[in-house]
Amino acid sequence: MMEPINVSLESLNLVTLAPMLIAIAGGLTILCIDLVAKNLHKSLYVMLAILFLFVDLGAIIGLEVNQRGFFDVMLVDGIAILSQIIMVFASMLFIPLALTSKRFHEFSMPEFFALFLFMVSGFQFMVATDNLILIFVGLETASLALYTMIAMHNREKSFEAAIKYFTMGALAAGFYAFGSLLLYALTGSVEIYKIAEVLAERGYEPIMVVLAAVAFMIAALGFKLSMVPFHTWTPDVYEGASAALAGYMSVVPKLAGFVVAIRLFEFLIHSEVMWVRDILYIGVVITMTFSNIVALVQDDVKRMLAYSSISHAGFVMAAIMIGTTQANSALFLYWVLFLFTNLGAFTMLWISRHKSQIWDKRFDHPYSKFSGLVHIMPVAATIMAMFMLSLAGVPPFSLFWGKLYIMSAAVNADYIVLAVIMAINSAISAYYYLKLIVYMFMREPVVDKETIYFKNTSLSLKTIVGFSAITTILATLAVSPLMEYITYYVKISGF
Amino acid sequence: MSHILSVLVFFPALAGMLGFIVKKDSIRTYGITVAAIEFILSLWLWLGFDSANGGMQFVEIVPLIPQFGVSYYLGVDGISLFIILLSTFITLIGLISLTITKNLKNLIISLLFLEMTMVGVFVSLDAILFYIFWELSLVPMLYIIGYWGSNLRIYASIKFFLYTFTGSLIMLIGMLFMAYLYYEATGTISFAIPDWHRLIIPFDLQLWLFLAFFIGLAIKVPMFPFHTWLPYAHGQAPTIGSVILAAVLLKMGTYGFVRLSLPIFPDAAVAAITPIAILSLIMIIYTAMVAYAQEDIKQVIAYSSISHMGVIVLGTFAMNAEGIGGSIFLMLSHGIVSGALFMLVGNIYDRRHTKLMNEFGGLASVMPAYATIFGIMLMASVGLPLTIGFVGEFLSLLGFYKISPMMTLLAGFSIVLGAVYMLTLYKRTFFGPITNDKNKTLSDLNAKELTSLIPLVLVVVWLGVYPKPVLGPIDNSVQNLLELMDKKAITKEAKEILSSNRAEVEAK
Repeated sequence: MMEPINVSLESLNLVTLAPMLIAIAGGLTILCIDLVAKNLHKSLYVMLAILFLFVDLGAIIGLEVNQRGFFDVMLVDGIAILSQIIMVFASMLFIPLALTSKRFHEFSMPEFFALFLFMVSGFQFMVATDNLILIFVGLETASLALYTMIAMHNREKSFEAAIKYFTMGALAAGFYAFGSLLLYALTGSVEIYKIAEVLAERGYEPIMVVLAAVAFMIAALGFKLSMVPFHTWTPDVYEGASAALAGYMSVVPKLAGFVVAIRLFEFLIHSEVMWVRDILYIGVVITMTFSNIVALVQDDVKRMLAYSSISHAGFVMAAIMIGTTQANSALFLYWVLFLFTNLGAFTMLWISRHKSQIWDKRFDHPYSKFSGLVHIMPVAATIMAMFMLSLAGVPPFSLFWGKLYIMSAAVNADYIVLAVIMAINSAISAYYYLKLIVYMFMREPVVDKETIYFKNTSLSLKTIVGFSAITTILATLAVSPLMEYITYYVKISGF
Repeated sequence: MSHILSVLVFFPALAGMLGFIVKKDSIRTYGITVAAIEFILSLWLWLGFDSANGGMQFVEIVPLIPQFGVSYYLGVDGISLFIILLSTFITLIGLISLTITKNLKNLIISLLFLEMTMVGVFVSLDAILFYIFWELSLVPMLYIIGYWGSNLRIYASIKFFLYTFTGSLIMLIGMLFMAYLYYEATGTISFAIPDWHRLIIPFDLQLWLFLAFFIGLAIKVPMFPFHTWLPYAHGQAPTIGSVILAAVLLKMGTYGFVRLSLPIFPDAAVAAITPIAILSLIMIIYTAMVAYAQEDIKQVIAYSSISHMGVIVLGTFAMNAEGIGGSIFLMLSHGIVSGALFMLVGNIYDRRHTKLMNEFGGLASVMPAYATIFGIMLMASVGLPLTIGFVGEFLSLLGFYKISPMMTLLAGFSIVLGAVYMLTLYKRTFFGPITNDKNKTLSDLNAKELTSLIPLVLVVVWLGVYPKPVLGPIDNSVQNLLELMDKKAITKEAKEILSSNRAEVEAK
């Protein structure tokens, strides 16, 4: 006979769930409004989404560090709070990109905004737990919403992208499920900390099964983080998605993936199983180098940025592989700085987006489109050039500090060769970022009746570009307080 | 005057930003005025500078990222003072001589930003701050070469950027490792260069770190075999770009040797004397020979510029007061002379739109003033006594004579070779009958060109005859440097060389 289960409300600690519930409530509210009133303007939904995210952010900041809740499934440690803050903040910056002056199909539908909020809650679930099942649930919630949002862009290429992403995502989900299964079979638990304990107790025996489980996990996360060789979907999906969504995808989902990777690989890296570290090392180096080299030959700025974001992800995975507190803090610093710069760069593409492809048969943003931009729109060209310099790591623009911290972490942890590889990769990447600058500053503009430059701007887009530009320039001043904050949270979670 | 260095660094940048608002037809005057104010500020710095004191002056420290040991740390000593003066002086002269009209506003703003980064590099005492200005200087230069240059400008500008960017990233790893070493030794992290001076580093490690710094600095100098970007950059750059590049930007590399490599890694530097001397000799002789083979006047000067940079490196690695002091003086004189020569080539290019020697001949009879100034600069470049070029070259070679008379002799050939290619250039361009009809109607230098060139001539003669006001402060700071290196030396070889130098100084 089964015992009746007595659950007191306090022990559930529902407050840990509050941030996600707020986002979900926001999505439901938008759906309900749509049910009652038709043909409302998208600006309403954008503002509602921002408001709900704002409340969400407040709920996260209000959380106490290091508590568990909801049958011990939720884990609110430092990096959970930190990454949620970054993700929600990034979402608040990305959603106003829907307020374009041109009409884009997806933004006229309230479902888009509801899905957006569901997706945010999915990512929040993913980072605020160390339970493999809940990570899976969060991952799939977010991914399914994302697939749909890509397809909503309503072009043939977007459907292709969505399907491609979906099939790849399904494969990754399969890998993840199988990896979790093996870990459960080995240890009888789906909680990462228990898995770590049990494995350590048994001395990582039987090693073959552990390695198989890790291999599946690396593959699953590799897909999500677009690590080479699991990256093949990235450029196509970015190309098919709207620039705004592509920019979002290059930042937020990856951060969620990084947090899971930190939780999952941290104990393995510090164990005697050197194989894990070696395979990550190889993966990191290949991801950085290969994507950089491929980015060199791209003709389209968006595809170039897609490969560049793969390379940046590789750079940051190196921090996870190094595994010291300094490296893990550097990861978050890097990602915050990358958020602003990449947000700016993709917004610039989004601003210059046309409904018809007048520049090139295939691409929306070929390099030639930006020829001589400095003569037509000097401020826009200067800002874009600054984002490119920042991505290349030219000081004092923001990402330089990220690179500096990660390279410094590598040097301090005695990974000198890795630091040199990072430096060489930065140098290679400078070439393709410079290519855009060369087009903008050193070529003559293509003068043609049809060439209409930034037609897609609106006040909200300009505000966001201006905001990212200012943070990119003045990052130097923000690095110190930011680092203090980040290190505090990373240290408190024991990474 | 306590914040004069910050003012010096940020005044041109602020002026550059305000320059966006100035209307097109007044931007020229605006640029010249700003550069003149900046030059006067730097003169004021010299005035306030205590020449008897060889240490750092006008120091400013503000912690920037305290957890990471990065601070806003500025200061000047005798070594950097004159290079700062050179930077502001050349920028002013360059702006006066400017003849470009294409998109002038952007050019002047870029030059003002460039001036900020140049001054910034020479006053930074924090490695990260140094690195920031160092890298930032690439951006306006990239634009200047890539937009205002000639046919192959884009290729040249990208080559310039990527070469130096790659080198400096390796140097950055060296810097990070230095900070790590400092942390290991003291428990606090710091990027301040004077802090690093106190570190005593094991010899093996020094070699590696020296190499990391060397790659970054040598590409900038440019040392053989990393020099291949320079002829392209010079060949394609507009006159103003070549002037600034030769006069100031290359000095960042040699300055880096004096400021970073020597005092931080004295033992490695001593151990590297022979290989570096060999590289310098190749650089001196090989590029002098290449210069002789050039048809393009500007390329001759570009290669001669590399050749003279070789003498500077040689002097620096002599590790004694004459050598280092002489090489710093040579940096100044090379800056003035090569700047002037590039400007002169620019003048003739403006008239004829060609720089090939074959096109000219007998110019002396049509353009007497031009020929005279060219002649003076050429003599200075060759190192004729009583010109600025002589003092530095003589001292550098004298310094290295103590290390190796044989190598100094070989380096001395550079003076002969220099005379050969320079005089050939002069003969082919200025003497003989006027073979080309187009040259018969050329006008001599106009007022604007004279205003920009005469100050340079005056400096060349003044410092050639009476170098003491400049050599004095340089010498004081160099003595400090040598003392520091001597104290830190750990290998036998380094101790011998450095303490024998000091014994000599005390004997005097």
